[in-house]
Amino acid sequence: MAKKGRHSYRGLRQYITIILFVAAAIPMAVTGGSIYYEYRASIREKVTTQLEGIVIFHKESIERFLEEITAAMMVTTQLKPFDKTVQSDVLQEVFNSLQRQYKHAFGDIGVIDSKATHLAYIGAYDLLGKNYSDAPWFKEVMEKRVFVSDVFLGFRRLPHLIVAVRQGDGKNSWILRATVDAARFGSVVENVRLGHTGQAFIVNKEGYYQTRPRTGGYVMEKSEPGDLELKPFDGVNFWEVQGKKGQKVLRAKTWMKDNNWLLVVQQDVDEAFAELYTTRNAAILMFILGGILVAVVTFFTTRLLVRKIERADEEKSVLDEQLIQSQKLASVGKLSAGIAHEINNPLAIIGEEAGWMQDLLKRDSLKGLREMDDFKDSLREIAQQAGRCKEITHKLLSFARKMKSVIKDVNINELVEDVIGMVGRDAALSNIKIVREYNAHLPLMYSDPSQLRQVFLNVINNARDAIEGGGEIKIETGIGEGDTISIKISDTGPGIPKANMGKIFDPFYTTKPPGKGTGLGLSICHGIIEKLGGDISVASDVGKGTTFTINLPLELKRGGI
Amino acid sequence: MNEFSVLVVDDEDDFRETFVKRLKRRNLDVSGVESGEKALELLDENPFDVVILDVKMPGMDGVDVLREMKKKRPLTEVIMLTGHASVESGIEGMKLGAFDYIMKPADINELMDKMRQAYERKSIHEEKIRQAKMKELTD
Repeated sequence: MAKKGRHSYRGLRQYITIILFVAAAIPMAVTGGSIYYEYRASIREKVTTQLEGIVIFHKESIERFLEEITAAMMVTTQLKPFDKTVQSDVLQEVFNSLQRQYKHAFGDIGVIDSKATHLAYIGAYDLLGKNYSDAPWFKEVMEKRVFVSDVFLGFRRLPHLIVAVRQGDGKNSWILRATVDAARFGSVVENVRLGHTGQAFIVNKEGYYQTRPRTGGYVMEKSEPGDLELKPFDGVNFWEVQGKKGQKVLRAKTWMKDNNWLLVVQQDVDEAFAELYTTRNAAILMFILGGILVAVVTFFTTRLLVRKIERADEEKSVLDEQLIQSQKLASVGKLSAGIAHEINNPLAIIGEEAGWMQDLLKRDSLKGLREMDDFKDSLREIAQQAGRCKEITHKLLSFARKMKSVIKDVNINELVEDVIGMVGRDAALSNIKIVREYNAHLPLMYSDPSQLRQVFLNVINNARDAIEGGGEIKIETGIGEGDTISIKISDTGPGIPKANMGKIFDPFYTTKPPGKGTGLGLSICHGIIEKLGGDISVASDVGKGTTFTINLPLELKRGGI
Repeated sequence: MNEFSVLVVDDEDDFRETFVKRLKRRNLDVSGVESGEKALELLDENPFDVVILDVKMPGMDGVDVLREMKKKRPLTEVIMLTGHASVESGIEGMKLGAFDYIMKPADINELMDKMRQAYERKSIHEEKIRQAKMKELTD
């Protein structure tokens, strides 16, 4: 039974632990998770905004750079007519002026006529007289007036790009052509630095690098196929791709120069989100710590809770036992009252009939009856036993009697003194000394004096009966625990053996010889004290004596009787 | 010569009959009836000295009967016969003027003593009334 009980407490403990833990952990996880995702979204937005800003900024600055160069060359062709520019000293002057203005971005400069022949040239190579009629750039510039090439190697085997502007129309047209150093041009984007892994580069629409990417690759090298999406689009796009080292890379891309060049700004995701990862790790750590805390709190709370429940159950089982005891007494009381009532009348008749026969035996006509003495003995016995039965039924009836309680202020000391007055003379005759230890400052209590008197009378009588050949009965009154008054009645009798202690409040349990006691006294007392909201207990030392302790509440609880 | 007249009121026939027999044997002028109503009727004709009155009876119960009796025959002494569970009714009876109460089953000797005392009291009352009347006449 006890084992089973403990097992069910373990089950309860597990159940409560799981419920509490889940109840605490779920909101924690949901809150933590949603905060993390919110934060992640905002970090992502911040990173993409940053990359977008860089992309747009560089796109603009590159386009501006190229526009400015083309604009400056256009202005030059307008200011200096063809015949002037063709003169090498004038061209040199133009070249010097452009170099000053654009920090030596130009490699060389030349003038080409409408038949694609290089007429004038300032620069490191011998290009005079060269014909470009087959070069794609020539066709393009004849068509569009202004042309900026991709980066290419050309005759000189060095990456460069061509800027060419056309002046005039048809046969009168001529072209001013300059080459821009790719390294000088590339520095504009190559210098983009974002942490350790951030970089910017340009590829043309065939996927050839126009500027050198910081990590791997050279100008004019083709980017790995499939690495870059080369379909034109508007605005800025973001891609997350797998990097060379297996890391995730976030790319912002935009097309420029009439969808000829793709400007790419990229950064490793790990670096871009480093701040997020720190926060995430902190969050995970906090979550784990929080989880541990929740687990610990849950564990201890549950333990406390289950222990409380266990204790409450124990108290309940004690109460249950008491309740069963008093219910047992009550039902015995009810049952015996019914029986006693029914038996009383037949008893009366038996008594009367026996008495009548006794009367008859006194008649003269029956004198000399041989069995006269036997008759008389028998009838006396019948009458006597009927009398004994009567005593039992009367006690039983008082056990179950529902007297109207008269609840009023009671002075316990006075009440006990009354009872001693009733039994005092008998006690003195049996050589019993009554010792009083009253607490003089007892408050008045609110209870039923006549029932209390019955209880004290009974207990004191029992004490007196227990003492043979002289002794002492001590009566103590005092203030007990809580708002109670305690009355202790001790005797110096032989005491009660342990085996009998549990039975002394049971109905019909008696140690007195048949005919001397009914065994109802203490159970009646028990019933009365319970009705009055108190309790009665017994302690005994075999050979030393017995002490009955009665605790009574100052105020009747449970709404009276 | 009978000592005094007694009326036993009890619904339990066996008990009443034997009881009446025994009292008769003790030289009392005894009658027995089984209900309060009959007792009151009988009391109209005969002024009994002492009435033994059971409390628990069908119909009128002992206390009610006692009240009526005391109106009819204030001098008649009544002894209540109660079951133990109705000590209260015994006490109530005493308050209403019963001489005493005795618990069932009753001891015949105890009851005889009580009845004699009751009769004595009645006699003293009657004597006092007689003397008072005489005084009234002589004065």
